[in-house]
Amino acid sequence: MISDGGRLPGAPVGAGIGLRAPHVGEVIATHPAIPWLEVHPENYMNGGAALCALEQIRREYPISFHGVGLSLGSADALDERHLRRLTTLVERVEPALVSEHLAWSITGGAYLNHLLPLPYTEQSLDVLCRHVDQAQRALGRPILIENPSSYLRFRYSPIPEPEFLGELARRTGCGLLCDVNNIYVTAHNLGLDAGAYLDALPAELVGEIHLAGHARNEADGQIVLIDDHGSRVASEVWQLYRGALARFGPLPTLVEWDTDIPPLAVLLDEAGAADRLIADARVTDLHAGAR
Amino acid sequence: MPALGDVQAAFRDALLAGDDDSAAAMVLGDGLTPHARLQIYRHHVLTSLTVALKATYPVVCRLVDARFFGYAADRYIRAHPPAGPCLFEYGGAFPEFLAAFEPCRHLRYLPDVARLEWALNTAVHAEDAAPLDPAVLHAVAEEHRPRLVFRLDPSLSLLASRWPIDRIWRVNQPDTDPSLTVDLASGRAHLEVRRIGNDAVFRAIDVATHGFRLALHTGRCLEEAAGVALDIDGAFDLTRALQALFGENLLIDFVLSPSNMEREG
Repeated sequence: MISDGGRLPGAPVGAGIGLRAPHVGEVIATHPAIPWLEVHPENYMNGGAALCALEQIRREYPISFHGVGLSLGSADALDERHLRRLTTLVERVEPALVSEHLAWSITGGAYLNHLLPLPYTEQSLDVLCRHVDQAQRALGRPILIENPSSYLRFRYSPIPEPEFLGELARRTGCGLLCDVNNIYVTAHNLGLDAGAYLDALPAELVGEIHLAGHARNEADGQIVLIDDHGSRVASEVWQLYRGALARFGPLPTLVEWDTDIPPLAVLLDEAGAADRLIADARVTDLHAGAR
Repeated sequence: MPALGDVQAAFRDALLAGDDDSAAAMVLGDGLTPHARLQIYRHHVLTSLTVALKATYPVVCRLVDARFFGYAADRYIRAHPPAGPCLFEYGGAFPEFLAAFEPCRHLRYLPDVARLEWALNTAVHAEDAAPLDPAVLHAVAEEHRPRLVFRLDPSLSLLASRWPIDRIWRVNQPDTDPSLTVDLASGRAHLEVRRIGNDAVFRAIDVATHGFRLALHTGRCLEEAAGVALDIDGAFDLTRALQALFGENLLIDFVLSPSNMEREG
């Protein structure tokens, strides 16, 4: 495991890709030069071929677990069975990083299969702190929490999202996963300033960056950006990513692609583009250090 | 200020029951209606879960066509949302739902085809299990063996249908000759589904073997399971049947049934 200075332990500082089922065989067969891989642990909480392949891949690449199922923002208690399954898998695969989302998806025993939005209130903050705390204690390690992409705002939501995330991290000791595409999508959809959002995140607590493509849909004559992870990273998001690297320094970065998954080479190409920007940020960092 | 639990219950009503009013009252329009914003979330929930069901039930989808499948899936998802985040576990009640779903009740074989697909899905994702070494049975005295209760391979399912669901499944694979047909009157199916290596497979087995293995798989002891098989076929050979179970690596573990332990105690 490679860690970066005084930051949380994490993945290597380079650009990895989200490993999805159509690429597993090719990754095992061709060993592409990629510093690390991220998977959704929910796809491996079983027996059979998937877990067997992951066991093979983890011997060659650092793995990051990017959970989608803990539902840390649920007013209901955490699903203890799911947390146990995650803990067992973390013990087995020993990922370099574990992350989850600032979101909820379970209410009244129904899992709604979406990272649903939260009103940012003191009550929500208490719920999140309790659940992040519980998860970190079960896993025996700090986790990173990712900012969501949003399509709506609540009438009563007095705490700005980046402040909410910063307070959550300070209270629980978790780190933050800054999804630059999500910031861009949310800012567009809710009329916020993406650059100001980035500036409001506590830089020292960010341990990973996510990049992905989004779709532009029209609803009632208005353009709504949909975080579908179905295309190359948009130029505006690359721009924002440069700003994130300038502010946070070089960080492990991940390219995600989940809809209309392209050939592996396309993902590697996107990761290569991110890697070049990380290399630039390293040089800038060195110069800043030398002064 | 609404409590978080109330916000989330209102969202569930909006996403699954189509009752937007409470959630819409909590949400800002920001240039759209709150309903249009909720619709973005609803669309994702329903389409992503439909994709998950389609991946588990490709033959059912092919039999009814994608549009009808989408309609049935929408109804199913709203009535039976997933209980947890591992989507390979989602959809187990879909065969029963289809059996009761009026618009496709005339397709009498459809629920059994769905059961076969669910059994294949279960087999793909079942926990790994090491087979039982036949030698461990030597520790069980001969007179106690009739009371053995076995645990079978967790990937195993035993299905019986009055329809030829194995042939229906085979002729509805993407690479099958589209001119092939199925005679629905061509007979019943007794199938064993399991994982071998990484592949979920099924095969037809004789009725007595099916009865025997199903009885064992549902927790009945060896003597009772043999009785079930003998009722079906008077020529059933228990010794050979047991050898076959070991030979096919289907036995995982065993205990002695409680009545026996009481006798021992």
